[in-house]
Formats: sequence, C-alpha cells, structure tokens
Amino acid sequence: MSTLDKGKISRRDFLRLAGLGVAGATLAACAPQLTKTAEAPTAISTAIPPTAIAEPEGQIVIWDRSGDLFQVFDSTIASFNKKYPKVTVKHEAVDINAKLASTLTAGVDVPDGTFIEDVNIPPLADFFTDISQWIQPYAKDIVPFKLRVNTSNGKVIGIPFDLDPALLYYREDLLQNAGVDPASIKTYDDLIDAAQTIQSKLGMDKKPIHIERAGWAIPLQLEMFANQQNASLVNEKGELQLNSDPYLKALKWMKKVLDSGVGSLQEYTSPGDIQALETDQVAFYPWAIWFVYAPENLLKATKGKWRVMPLPAWASGGARGANMGGSSFVIPKQSKNPQLAWLFYEHLMLSPEGYKAVYGPNKIYPGGLNSSLPAYLPAQKEQLFQNPVGLGNQNLWDVAVSTVKDIPANYYYAPFYGQAGEIITANVQRMQDGQITPEEALKTAADDITAKLIKR
Amino acid sequence: MIRRFRYSGLFHFRRWLGGSFAPYLFIAPFFLLFIVFGLFPLFYSLILSFTNWHGIGKLEFIGLSNYVFLLSNASFWQSIWNSTYLWLIIVPIQTFFAVLVAFLLSLPKLRFRNFFRTTYLISYLVPLVAIAQVWKVLFDYEFGGINFAIKMLGIPAIGWLTTEAWAKPTLALLVFWKSSGFAILIMLAAIQSISREIYEAAELDGATGFQQFRFVTVPLMRRAIAFYVVIATLAVMQMFAEPYVLTQGGPYSSTTTAGYQLNQYMKYLDLGTGSANSFLLTILVMVVSLLMLRFLQVSDQE
Repeated sequence: MSTLDKGKISRRDFLRLAGLGVAGATLAACAPQLTKTAEAPTAISTAIPPTAIAEPEGQIVIWDRSGDLFQVFDSTIASFNKKYPKVTVKHEAVDINAKLASTLTAGVDVPDGTFIEDVNIPPLADFFTDISQWIQPYAKDIVPFKLRVNTSNGKVIGIPFDLDPALLYYREDLLQNAGVDPASIKTYDDLIDAAQTIQSKLGMDKKPIHIERAGWAIPLQLEMFANQQNASLVNEKGELQLNSDPYLKALKWMKKVLDSGVGSLQEYTSPGDIQALETDQVAFYPWAIWFVYAPENLLKATKGKWRVMPLPAWASGGARGANMGGSSFVIPKQSKNPQLAWLFYEHLMLSPEGYKAVYGPNKIYPGGLNSSLPAYLPAQKEQLFQNPVGLGNQNLWDVAVSTVKDIPANYYYAPFYGQAGEIITANVQRMQDGQITPEEALKTAADDITAKLIKR
Repeated sequence: MIRRFRYSGLFHFRRWLGGSFAPYLFIAPFFLLFIVFGLFPLFYSLILSFTNWHGIGKLEFIGLSNYVFLLSNASFWQSIWNSTYLWLIIVPIQTFFAVLVAFLLSLPKLRFRNFFRTTYLISYLVPLVAIAQVWKVLFDYEFGGINFAIKMLGIPAIGWLTTEAWAKPTLALLVFWKSSGFAILIMLAAIQSISREIYEAAELDGATGFQQFRFVTVPLMRRAIAFYVVIATLAVMQMFAEPYVLTQGGPYSSTTTAGYQLNQYMKYLDLGTGSANSFLLTILVMVVSLLMLRFLQVSDQE
C-alpha cells in the first residue's frame, strides 16, 4: 500500500505543493539574476563604416509613428531601394511611445531604426548606437542645438529629423480692424499693448493672446519662452535651471496677460480653443510652426485669415527665435543591421531625394509637410513645402527659416523631463488661477523636482 | 499459484487523484498561463518594488525606500484622497440608483420596458473617448452649454474642468453616467432571480410597493449589491482612462487618481516606485473591499 493511500499527504495538500513547486521553478527559471540584469546592451560591431560596404544587403525593420507621417516616410523607400536594391525595408507603424522602452529593455524584436521624440532620448540614450563617426561628415551642416539634443556623453546617438521653430501666429484681419501694425510688435510687452488695443477697439469680449492650459503643453510653451532667452530646464551638466530669471520672466509675462484680461486660457486645439479661434476671440497664438495644422485643417471660419511672424523678443533687440519640440531617429544597439539602418536614414534626412520627398509635395501632403523644418541646413536653402492656404498663401517657409539662426543654442533635455513636466504643470496652473505667485510656482516646482526626481 | 500482481506507483497515484489524470490536464493550461502571466509578474513586481530600477542598468536593492517615499509623499496621499472622494460620490449613489432603477424596470406593469432598458444600457456601450469629448464641449468654461444655461439663470460661469472644486464632481458625473448601465444590468439580473412567489406572499401580507422594495428586494439582492460595490471599488481605485482623456489628472493634480498616479510612474519608467505604489494600492483595495463585505454582512449562511 503506498504512502499516498495511507493519507499522509492529502490530495489538496499535494496539489498545493505541486502548484508552489511549479511556480517556484518558473520563477527560478525566469527571474533575472539580480546583480546582472538589463544592463545597457553592447552594440553589434559598428567598426565597419557603412561607406565601406560595397553592396549593402539585408533586411532592416524601421519603426515610425502611425499616421500621415508614416505614409510619407514609406513613400521614400522606393528611392532608397534605387540606391540600395538589395536592402529590404520592413516599415512598421508602431505606437513608439508605448512600445519602445519595453522593447529595448526586453531586447526582443528590437527594430533596426526608430523614430523618437527628442524629449525621450535622454532616458534611453544608453540603448542607442554611437553614430558619431558616421554622421561626422554632415555634422557642420546640422543645426547645432539639434545635434546637441542627439548627443549623450559626447557621442552622437541620433539622426536629427525636424526643427520646430516657434513663431507668432496672428489674425491679420483683426489687427487691421484694430489699427495694429504687426511690424510694431517687437517685444512681448508690445504684444500685450497690441492685445489691449484690439480689445478696446473690437470689444472687451476679445481675449487676444492664447495662453496654454493643457498639462502636456504647458511645459512645452514654457520651455519655448525659456529657450528664447537662452535657458533650458537643465544646463550642460544636468543641473536644474528652472528657478531662474528667464523662467520667472516668462511666468510674470503670462500672469500679466491673464491679469490684464487679454489672455485666452485654453488647451491647445481643444473644443474650447477652436471655438475661441473661430469666434474671433484670439488674435495671437505664440506657438511652434506646427500650429499651422489648425488654420489648414481644423479652422473653417478663419481659414486664410491667419498670418505668421517671428516671435516678439523679451527685450528690445533680443532673439526672436526659439524651438518647441522636435524628433529624431535612432539606431538601437541591438539592431541586427545598424549600418543598413544608417544608410536608410542618411538617404531619408541627409540626401536631396530623401528630404525633398519628405517635405515637398506628395500624395499624402499635396502642399508638402509644413509642420516643421528639416534640421539639415542644406535642405533649408530651397523652399520645400508650398505656401499654406490656411495662412492666406503666406510664405511660411521663408518666415520660419529666417528665425533658425536666432534659435539659442542652449537646449538640453533632462532625463526626468516627463515627470518634471507634471510638476511644472501643476504649479503653473495654480499660478494661472491666481493661487500662487510666479516666484512661488518656480520655487515649489524646483524644490519638488529636486526632491522627487534628482535626489532620488 | 496465485500470481501476485503489484500495482505501479503511477497507478496508485492516479487512483489517489480520483482515478484519472484527465481533469487535471484540462485545467492545467489555465494554471500554466496564470503562473506565467499572473503569478510571475506579481512576484517580479514585488521584487522591483524594493529596487530603484528604471528599465535599464542593474537592479539595486534599496530596501523599503520606495515605500517610505510614497507614504511620506503628498502626491501619493492626494491621489488616494482623490480616489476616495470619487468613490464617496460615485459608488453609494450609483448603487442605490441602480437598485432603484432595476426595481422599477422589473415592475410587471411598466410600459415601454424594453425602450427604457435599452436607453440605460446605451451609455455603457458608447466609447469613453467620445463621451469625454462631449463632456469637454458641454463643460467648457467659456463656450460650454452648461455654463450658457446657468448664465441664463443669472449664475456666474463655473470652471467645471478647470477648478479644483468642480473638476472631481464633473469627472464623477462622467463615470456615473458611463457605468450606470452596467450597474443596472447587474441589479436587474439579481432582481429577476427573485421568485415572484415571494412578492405575491408579501402582497398577500399587505406590503406596499415600497415595503416590498425595502424588505424583500433589497435583502435578497444583498449579494449582488456586495458584488457590485466590490467591483466598483476596484474600478474607482484603479481608474485611469477617465481622468486621462478628460483632465489629464489636472487641474493641479486634483483629478489624479490612484490608478493615474501609478500609470505616471510606469510611463516614465520609474518601475521601482511604480511597483511599490501598485502594492500599496492593492493592500488598500483589499482592506476597503473586506470592510465593504463586512458592512454589507454578506455570508454564505444568508
């Protein structure tokens, strides 16, 4: 008679032990060794430069965000294959923000190249291939701050895609009706004066200056104001610069706009914002070039009435350019064919066939891609996208390109930018509602960021 | 000579298991999947909660630092309070509302019963993103229909989504509207399982409609009510999608729920803190759920 039959272990106990045993075995087999896990990967050898490969051959997997831009990039594969017929490009539309970090960490199905927003580069920098040698011939022709954004520990780890110069969009007809000359708006104080003139002449219901309210966009707009004053959330050493004069000046100006009653506090292109734009309440929209999407596609009643000019300066004679956002391409260290991926991006961004196909008129954007500028300076020499109908056929290209030289070079993204943005937003919103002063907003935000993100 | 036949150990084992391996083989796939996709992530998350891992680099043990940080962090307690506040203004009212509506919908003399049932369920079927957009239009401070209506009554415009005082109730209203259909469905199923004979007996005893509701319907629905309260509690404490699409946790974190706060840690790859947050939330939800069940005094004996 077996010991089991004697009932020394009941069936239930046996099943419990068996379950625990299987679970334990699974954990032991799958759990990483705690001292040696998820180290930054070492790159597949990049000793062979792409130019040394006589006949490039192989397959590369390229990730891009889904949408119109995916289709634009997709359309360049044909011209790439004319140069490199033996390279197969498997182009995949992916929610990169959601998938990239976990894919890089897991190391499974890692693409050979991927689109990435510049703000997401610093926390993942260790995962990307050092392409310093490969991009070196082009370095002097890339907008300096954009190259800096793609540099980590002295190594270039990304191929810059776009530049998002900040501009002042304005309603030409409202300014004309109020007798305001756009050329007279040279400083941010002039902008407030112009807004008050519009309000007094056209009605006190006007709130001419857009001030951002959305959680994701407040840090963007604030960084734009700071960048224009040659400041950045962190300096080159990664030290927090939030509680400083440029940011204080920006917040004080914002408060002055709201306290004067000339500010339209809305979330970027929210239903309320669109309504404010369409009902002639807003006359000025200081924003990145990609605001052109609104007059081109979202606005109906005011389409064609918008124009654009360089930003006002913070002081008379000061810089009238700034950057607001941007994206790049990176080649993960786990790429199976990093050289081939580089050839693809070299074609896409650094060759006339590539950047003309991206920015020029195409099937997806008949007028061309006008929501950004190429970061590659030779590409800026010739107008690529057509004059937008939403801006009354004004030459947006010339206006935007003219501000590029004024974009201050001091532009650094902190690894904790995303989480810092949440803290900044909460405090700026309180300031906008009059609960705290600009000084308190900056101090509280800086103290919180230091305690929760830097010191931890 | 009788040949002795010795049964194998395997034969005894199988007999001990009930005579067949088949039932265990049928349920094994579930348990295997559960261990791999449920138990393993749970244990791994527990390990991560004691580290400062950000998705790359070595796992470095930091003991209880993440838990200490969270428990001493005002943002954590604010997210807990936000979720608690939402629970207080959603779950009790919605449960009572669902019981009442389900009772009314089950009345034999109700006309257009199917129309009413369908109407209440529609809200549950409409995608959240669509509802959120409508909410944003309706409750916009400058241009919203709600403020337009109240201004006509001489009441000043309210920052429904832009002020701390009103953002939570406005969010709660969205959640209430969206999930009431499901609550009514649960209660309706429970009511329909109550035998008509009990109501007839109560009617014979002279019970009015209200008395039938109070002394027959509600007690016999106690299990369904407890079930709904527990799942609604879980849903509110884990709530992420609604504040994400409507307010993004604002204004100034006033609608940052516990689930939203947790997601923020994960989104920015602060996996150690996020894991610690998730375990603290789990403990909290377990405690609240047990208290709810105790309060509702639901037991098998009943």
